Amino acid sequence: MLRLIATIRKEWLLLLRDKAGLALLFVMPVVLITVMAVIQDAPFKDYQEIKFDILTVDNDHGRLGRHIREGLGGTGQFNVIDTLQGAPLTEAQAQELIADGTYKICITIPKGATGEIVSNANKIVNDISKRMGIPAQLPVKAIASDSLAVQLYFDPAAKKAFKSAIRQALDNFLTQVQTDLLLERIQMQLRSRDSSVHDTFPTIRLKAVGLQETMIGKGKQIDVISNSVQHNVPAWSIFAMFFIVIPIAGNMIREREDGSLVRLKLIPGNYLSILAGKLLFFVGICVVQFYLMILVGLFGMPLLGLPKLQLGVDHLAGFITAVSIGITATAYGILIGTLFKTPNQALNFGAISIVILSAIGGIWIPLEVMPEKIQLIGRCSPLSWGLDAINDVYLRNGNIRLILPDIIRLLACGLLMLGIAARVEQRRIS
Amino acid sequence: MNSIEVKDLHKTYAGALVPSLQGLSFAFPEGSIVGLLGPNGAGKTTTISILCGLVKADSGTVKIFDLPQDAARREAVKRIIGIVPQQIALFPQLTAMENLTYFGNLYGFKGASLKQKITNYLEAFGLEKAAHKEVRKFSGGMKRRTNIIAAILHDPQLLVLDEPTAGVDVQSRSMILQFLREYNRQGKSVLYTSHLLEEAQQICEDIVIIDEGKLIIQGRPEDMIRQHADCRNLEEVFLLYTGHAVRD
Ligand SMILES: Nc1ncnc2c1ncn2[C@@H]1O[C@H](COP(=O)(O)OP(=O)(O)OP(=O)(O)O)[C@@H](O)[C@H]1O
Ligand SMILES: [Mg+2]
Repeated sequence: MLRLIATIRKEWLLLLRDKAGLALLFVMPVVLITVMAVIQDAPFKDYQEIKFDILTVDNDHGRLGRHIREGLGGTGQFNVIDTLQGAPLTEAQAQELIADGTYKICITIPKGATGEIVSNANKIVNDISKRMGIPAQLPVKAIASDSLAVQLYFDPAAKKAFKSAIRQALDNFLTQVQTDLLLERIQMQLRSRDSSVHDTFPTIRLKAVGLQETMIGKGKQIDVISNSVQHNVPAWSIFAMFFIVIPIAGNMIREREDGSLVRLKLIPGNYLSILAGKLLFFVGICVVQFYLMILVGLFGMPLLGLPKLQLGVDHLAGFITAVSIGITATAYGILIGTLFKTPNQALNFGAISIVILSAIGGIWIPLEVMPEKIQLIGRCSPLSWGLDAINDVYLRNGNIRLILPDIIRLLACGLLMLGIAARVEQRRIS
Repeated sequence: MNSIEVKDLHKTYAGALVPSLQGLSFAFPEGSIVGLLGPNGAGKTTTISILCGLVKADSGTVKIFDLPQDAARREAVKRIIGIVPQQIALFPQLTAMENLTYFGNLYGFKGASLKQKITNYLEAFGLEKAAHKEVRKFSGGMKRRTNIIAAILHDPQLLVLDEPTAGVDVQSRSMILQFLREYNRQGKSVLYTSHLLEEAQQICEDIVIIDEGKLIIQGRPEDMIRQHADCRNLEEVFLLYTGHAVRD
């Protein structure tokens, strides 16, 4: 026990004197997660909050055009543009702007579209009235033109999913305007028959059954939507925690080079207790690092106008995840420190291997958006196990049971690396 | 009882073409202060590494106070032997006090008694003012002296020093030699290596000269000089046995 505590104390003193190491462990990660969260804020919004510009040419000047403009604007996803330098946009101008790629989409509403819809609704109402024995009253166009259509122009580079989303939205608006007008006409007809209806006739509700979105997690109901902070803070924290391999490997190689390791081996008592002290110390540092990043996510990110990090409900599960990642990262550092002869070799190998493991492990961009084959490789990266466990806790409100497979993977990998390091070290003595 | 007994040691390092030790044998009685001498590459450090269990011999036996140096008794041997390695085996970024406290803790000492012991030794070696200075800022002599203190915190019965006076000034050397004599006077056994034969002649009761991993001659320095009428000092005896060729 004394050996363990003395070793932790010694490592602490060594770290305190290593200003560059301290900066690497605590300052670099804070800068890293802040920069990453800020620059990835826009790409993340791309899928959620970003507004698309839509050109609209309204040749109809009626209810349909107004409804489409208001409807598209009301979703918050589109920026409806219907004027160019103060003057209403013409179809020719719009086509040019799409052709040269300035805008991606244009909607033109043909002249007389609303009139056509009204006429159609009137015709239906007249028809129904007649069957009910009421004389037809509403005006109807003599000949219905069936060539009228809302025209959609797309930039050829527009994505398929984007095009179909727009088409569906417009379809929806068309149906809605036509239904609204029809219901209005029916109401009008009823009122003209019986004036008492005027006050008591209930407004006809268009939607009897609505649509509601809820996301379901493996744990409880999800109430956090993935955003830049929610991805980048945990992801880069794990990355930074793994960077502890650099100070650990450096520490071990220096110990071998400056001879202090010889002294440690000359002192009676198990060398493992000294190694355990080192392990405990650096795992502790990893956990402190992790929670420092969490604090940045909780309090720093909102200051930058970014969303606040959400921590899920099971804080113990979060802590266990942090400790497990710390153990794996530290074990990796001890292995590298044992295998490599010079600090330079260890530094290069350590840094590059972590960058690769993090890239395939979904730290840079979420694994889910990668090709399937890469995902399979990525799932072998310890960094992806860590990120997966944290996402389980923070995004899916998961508990310890849910993260257990990832925790077991992390710890097994850590133990394996420690075992290899111990064997290599043992063979060196003989 | 012998403090050290080495019999027919053979060692060839992995990948080395020539053996470092080839049948080395010698023994010293308990309580003596002896010098292990030899040119560069003679095998002194290798012998010491085998004595303390850092390196395994290919064949041959080592006994420390009749305890065989083997895997089973390595821990017991570590407790009675103090090693001052040829290199400075300290944490450069820690102060002398922090280094010594850590090593003391590893030996199982702690608290005020450890602190007192360290302070006493630092004073004895003239380092009391440097106690709280980082070792990397020490002079060569200060590092050597601290390196010695780290090896004697557990009051070993046998103190083995590999070139404790290498690269130190006259004052530091005199202090170190004075300490070795003093330590020996307390009944402790001391084995040390050096390239300064005059120094060995001064303080050693017994010396062993080895070359190319083999014993060349063992005996009292005075006797050696007396037996060779044409040699005026130990250095001339040494050259007589080991030749003038430079080692590589
Ligand atoms: N780790 C090692 N691997 C391979 N060969 C080694 C190793 N250590 C020492 N040797 C070789 O073993 C021989 C004896 O070396 P050793 O260090 O024991 O000599 P020494 O007497 O201590 O020399 P010096 O006076 O220079 O310290 C030398 O030829 C050396 O090159
Ligand atoms: Mg040597």
